[in-house]
Amino acid sequence: MTVWERIAAMDRRWIYLMCGIAVLVPFIIPVSLPVYTTPEVQQLYDAVNSLPDSSIVMLTYDYYPSTVAETEPMSRAALHHLFSKNCKVVTLSNIPLGGPTIAERVTRELAAEYGKVYGVDYVNLGYKANYVAVMKGLGTAISGIFPTDNTGTPLTQLPLMQSVRNYEDIAFIFVVADNATADYWVSIVNAQYGVPMCCGATAVMAPKLYAFVGSGQLQGLLGGMKGAAEYEQLLGRKDRAVRGMDAQSLIHLLIIVLVAIGNLGYFMGRRAKRGERA
Amino acid sequence: MSTFSPFELWIMAFVTLAIFSFLYRDNPVYRLVESIFAGLSAGYYFGLMWDTVLMQQVVYPIRTDGAWYLLIPTALGVLLFSRLTRSYSYLSRVPLAFVIGSTSGVFITSRLQGLVLPQIRTTFMPQNIPGGSTDPGMIVVLSAIVVIGVIATLIYFYFSHEHKGALGVTAKVGIWFIMISFGAHFGYTVMGRVSLLIGRVQFLVESWIGSFTS
Repeated sequence: MTVWERIAAMDRRWIYLMCGIAVLVPFIIPVSLPVYTTPEVQQLYDAVNSLPDSSIVMLTYDYYPSTVAETEPMSRAALHHLFSKNCKVVTLSNIPLGGPTIAERVTRELAAEYGKVYGVDYVNLGYKANYVAVMKGLGTAISGIFPTDNTGTPLTQLPLMQSVRNYEDIAFIFVVADNATADYWVSIVNAQYGVPMCCGATAVMAPKLYAFVGSGQLQGLLGGMKGAAEYEQLLGRKDRAVRGMDAQSLIHLLIIVLVAIGNLGYFMGRRAKRGERA
Repeated sequence: MSTFSPFELWIMAFVTLAIFSFLYRDNPVYRLVESIFAGLSAGYYFGLMWDTVLMQQVVYPIRTDGAWYLLIPTALGVLLFSRLTRSYSYLSRVPLAFVIGSTSGVFITSRLQGLVLPQIRTTFMPQNIPGGSTDPGMIVVLSAIVVIGVIATLIYFYFSHEHKGALGVTAKVGIWFIMISFGAHFGYTVMGRVSLLIGRVQFLVESWIGSFTS
């Protein structure tokens, strides 16, 4: 058996082990590789930064717990940015599993850090089924879709919600999503109600959403952990995403090497077979 | 600092490691955790639907505000279950007609207004160069690439004529653009999947193992 045949027949568990080590090592020995800012993230940062202080911003938690590694740093960075500008934040989730719980935990944690008062500075509307109906309905009356907040308190008892009736009172929407809801926020809410928005999305979704940035329908985009890391860096708060980028870079390097070796092995093996036949 | 209690951290760490154990081979611990996850998700989802849809949107408004008209959509919803019986399954067509009609109404408008028209317009507008450069030559080249790419890709999906001659050449150009697009998608997908692994390792190292020392 040649060395190339051995590589081709390598048990996949060795690759898993190599990936595991490549991810683990940077957490034990941090390298702090540089993270460069892309224009889409800079655009998003500038768009949020240019909002007048105390603006009312809607922040969505449209993601499942399975993608928190990418999306939660985006939500946290967005809240840091918005609370530091004294923006009023209305959060909601269009995802049944995890979204409302994560929204409650993350928003309350960050609000406590900035000394924000629930009902005055921020409100968590929670979850309602059927996101298309929710997005359309919020355009007419938020209280029609969410008569109460996530904890069951009527919106009439929350001072912030007395000045927020529908999209007309929302200055900006910050969508954080790991699924098709991002698409619908753009095609239903931005297109039909004209609310400016930006999006933080998982890496898998990012290529599709770049088209919306190009057309100006999105005022910026965070693509996966890399986008979140860039945003954290722009905010001057190097957090989870920045810490994860060392591992991201190292494992990408490993994958490139493995792909190169795999292809080399394939071609060398084919050449050896041809030689045997000749 | 972690917001979870030590008990929660240990449960989370055990479940994470149990799921990772599948990478070595299928085993009873993995299957147990997988079943717990499926059961918990189903139970949570049912409870959430019961509370946020049935109670908050039907029962409470009828009981407190006297919104009796809500019985009409509720009855339509119940009719969907008629599909479970052979003799009355035709009744489910009534709510389905509403669902299909309203969905078409919402989606035709939103797709046209929010996707098709803005994207067509942007395709034929001068493209912005990443980095903010205003070099007119670069703008022309970039805009031409976008227009050619879109047209060539669309022609690749035009199947009413055999891809021969000019049509065939354009379709081949389209394949190249599609391949480049797939490459970008694949790269981002790898990054996404790796991020998920990083997230769990980050939890294990920083939150779980970190809790031993704090």
